[in-house]
Amino acid sequence: MIQIENLEKVYRTEEVETKALNKVSLVVNDGEFVAIMGPSGCGKSTLLNIIGLLDEPDGGSIKFAGTEIAHYNERKRADLRKRNLGFVFQSFNLIEELTVLENVELPLIYLGVGAAERKQKVEKVLEKMQIMHRRNHFPQQLSGGQQQRVAVARAVINAPRLILADEPTGNLDSSNGNEVMELLTELNEAGTTIIMVTHSEHDARYAHRVIRLLDGEVVMENVHKQFTV
Amino acid sequence: MFTNYLKVAYRNLIRHKGFSFLNIAGLALGLTACLLIGLFVFDELQYDKFLPNGDRVYRVYTQGTTSESPESMASVPPMFATTMKQEFPEVEQSMRILMYSAISLLEVGDKKLYIENGLIADSTFFDIFPLPFKYGSAAQALDAPASVVLAEDVAKRFFGDENPVGKELKMNKQTLLVKGVIQNNQSKFHLKVNYVIPLSAAEIPAERMSSWGWQQFYTYVRVKPDTDIKQTQAKLQDYITQKVQPLMPKDDPIGFVPYLQPLQDIYLHSANFKFDTGPRGNITYVKALSIIAVFILLIACFNFVNLATAKSVQRAKEVGIRKTIGASQQQLMLQFLIETVLLTFISVVISVVLASLLLPALNDFTGKDMSFNLLTNPVVFLLLVVLTLVVGLIAGFYPALVLSGFKPVKVLKSTVVSEGMFGRVQWLRHGLIVIQFSLTIFLLISATVVFLQVNYLHTKDLGFNREQIMFFPMRGDNMNRSYETFKNELAQGPGISSVSIGYGFPGDAVAGDQIIVPKDGEQKLHSTTHLMVDYDYIKTLGLELVNGRNFSKELTTDKSQAYIINETAVKEFGLGTPQQAIGKTLIWQRLGPSQPDSVKKGQVIGVVKDFHYKSLYDKVEPAVLHIHPDDYWKVAVKMKGENISQSVAHVKDVWGKFSPDYPIEYKFLDENFDQMYKAEDKLKSLLWIFTGVAIFVGCLGLFGLATYAAERRKKEIGIRKVLGADVSTIVGLLSKEFVKLVVVAAVIAFPIAWLVMRKWLEDFAYRIDIPLWVFVAAGVAAALVAFLTISYQAIKAATTNPIKNLRTE
Repeated sequence: MIQIENLEKVYRTEEVETKALNKVSLVVNDGEFVAIMGPSGCGKSTLLNIIGLLDEPDGGSIKFAGTEIAHYNERKRADLRKRNLGFVFQSFNLIEELTVLENVELPLIYLGVGAAERKQKVEKVLEKMQIMHRRNHFPQQLSGGQQQRVAVARAVINAPRLILADEPTGNLDSSNGNEVMELLTELNEAGTTIIMVTHSEHDARYAHRVIRLLDGEVVMENVHKQFTV
Repeated sequence: MFTNYLKVAYRNLIRHKGFSFLNIAGLALGLTACLLIGLFVFDELQYDKFLPNGDRVYRVYTQGTTSESPESMASVPPMFATTMKQEFPEVEQSMRILMYSAISLLEVGDKKLYIENGLIADSTFFDIFPLPFKYGSAAQALDAPASVVLAEDVAKRFFGDENPVGKELKMNKQTLLVKGVIQNNQSKFHLKVNYVIPLSAAEIPAERMSSWGWQQFYTYVRVKPDTDIKQTQAKLQDYITQKVQPLMPKDDPIGFVPYLQPLQDIYLHSANFKFDTGPRGNITYVKALSIIAVFILLIACFNFVNLATAKSVQRAKEVGIRKTIGASQQQLMLQFLIETVLLTFISVVISVVLASLLLPALNDFTGKDMSFNLLTNPVVFLLLVVLTLVVGLIAGFYPALVLSGFKPVKVLKSTVVSEGMFGRVQWLRHGLIVIQFSLTIFLLISATVVFLQVNYLHTKDLGFNREQIMFFPMRGDNMNRSYETFKNELAQGPGISSVSIGYGFPGDAVAGDQIIVPKDGEQKLHSTTHLMVDYDYIKTLGLELVNGRNFSKELTTDKSQAYIINETAVKEFGLGTPQQAIGKTLIWQRLGPSQPDSVKKGQVIGVVKDFHYKSLYDKVEPAVLHIHPDDYWKVAVKMKGENISQSVAHVKDVWGKFSPDYPIEYKFLDENFDQMYKAEDKLKSLLWIFTGVAIFVGCLGLFGLATYAAERRKKEIGIRKVLGADVSTIVGLLSKEFVKLVVVAAVIAFPIAWLVMRKWLEDFAYRIDIPLWVFVAAGVAAALVAFLTISYQAIKAATTNPIKNLRTE
């Protein structure tokens, strides 16, 4: 699914140059659940953002399903994102002016899906995430766990091939956090590839494999579970 | 997708009520001002557009060649019409209207009314101006001398609702036959017409009608289709120099060049024409108002851009999320543009309502009859749609570009989005504020200068005393014949200090003719104002004699051989000092050199201080005062002001004794004068109103920006307070930035305002020097307004508990 070779990213301010990623190479296979760990500032979020086409690398190559995407233009990136990627963030990132239903529906709107089909899909996902009863509420009216379930629902609504999760349990208590992790595992078992950035060893155990970063370099890989294609 | 955009737009509107209010209020107010100005300007541009073939009609006017700044004269000699019709094949028709501003007494049975604005015109009048008839028809209406065509409301006043065609009417005691009635609603015609009588009725001798010097006719020609009018004009100018000039006597050459003015330009482009008649607009004021409308709209649009980009910090997260989900920049731009257009639409709806409510007041103020009905006028409707889209897109484009350009990584990762991320936005915002304040300061200075000049026009010492002078024309044979007895009886009334009868009172029409000044054996001709006065003129008007003496009844020669001149005449005639001028000879050939009996040769017996008998647009010209009872017509009665109504009652009594057949119609001289500056008075009021609107709209925007500035810097303020800053330091910190911008704006606005206002003042022969304090005051006022607007937010921010601000981080 993802092939990364010698990926580089440098942040520059007027006086300081920081290498966020230093010749990172890794492969994520179809259907794999990979956790990326490391201390703050190690470059894990940068890596996730580049994979998610939210940021551009300064060097190296990144292939999505065999296609080089490192230098896609803005239009192609948007297109790839809306068709193949789903995002889950630590801070949920729901649009406050939209209801639960409208938030989840949004990716389908950008995909140009018709209203009837949208309704059907959204209801199905909301049922699955057990948030159907709150579909007409606004994000501020929900608990953190509920908000993250909505965010997951929104991430999976367009049936993406890859879900990118950036500390998805970071703002949740342990029971809500476990619930979200269970959800992600279910999705993975159903065939969706997941790359998750996390600080939590507990969460990382849900993944097949853990990639550890330090100062922008891959320092270690542990395999937790057997993964077969 | 569209419904999603609208939904978000609507919810944003409701959620950020304050922001929405500022935006909508500012834009709605600005648009209201623009709509009203737009209606006014549109109305001003409609004059004479209704006349069929009006685009082929031109008015002949002349420009003098003798003086340094040539004046345009609306009236021309009678031969222009004759010649152009006969000798210029491209001229289809010509027509003259006699310049004659008298008021006539119209009578039908017992009904007697003075009616102004009667025209004495060639029978081709209705051919050139095909005004619609209500009764009768234009054909042959003016062929017979004793004919009259009435305007509809004049006909109504005499004949009620019946058709008056074929009925008789007396005009100044002469019987005329009503030949037709023209419909009302000629409000967009450059002439005021209450009735038209044929030129043949005036019985002007043929010799006079073949004159090239008697500038007494408004002359119109209609040319054939596809005529090159520039060429015709050049031909006409050549004709004058080559064919007419050789015919003229050496000492009285043609002193003008003729021009052709398109009919549809007459109303707006004749403001400085001499001897013009009818309602006139002023293109300068139309332009000024249009520019102000654009200014106000710009200020309102800039508010929008500023508030939207300031608020973009709050929208950044939404943009990030939408992009992450897969929205393209185009889709986001569209979303934000739809939001702006929605806000604009709401503003337009409000402004249409506001403008409809204010329109009657504007109509009242401008004496117009404007209306705008969305349902009956598809053009207005279409214009509003276009306006909504244009304003929405202009105001929304940049914020949309900025917002949709946010990088999702940046806006999603940071818990606080800082302004620093959008450096160029800050620049733009400051730039727009500077422009807004430049415009505001410019308007403030202009409004103040106009105010001062108008005030000066009304209060300048005119060199005579215009207070409490009752003024009216004499009527009827009896009064004219025994004017001396009439005058004596008037003078004996209570509270009346003096009475003067003559022709040439300040604020009224004056006669102009040449006068001969013999000097060094040569006879020099000078164009001069002739004031036909009596022995009490100087006393009645309170003129100041700088040298010599007043006319005296005791000296019989004063009537036939004495002149009093003004200081300008002393200079222009080259008579040295006022003292040296006394005793010098002047010669007036009333009917030309061929009629020696009419020559008045006399000496200067006195010099009066210059006084303004015309408006302050005009320089004081050389004026000659002399006793000339033939031209006595107007009466000025000076009252002491103790009991005016008693004095007026006395004048009416005496009038009744001398001219019982005519009702008296009087004014006060100062009213006459104030009338002259009506256009300036209105400009003054409009400028203040719209400057107020501009300032208010600008302040709304500034208030919004200050709110966001305080919001943005609340952590900084919290830290500063923890470190010991007091309220005034914090307020100063927040205000400094804006006040600095006002200073920059002032630097830009000052020279522009100075140049523009100096140009405007140049139209006035007598004008104020723009005082320095106007600039200081405008700058300080703008800074103060900015400071007050900001200080509310600044004080609020400064007095908030710092812990609260720091904790929210």
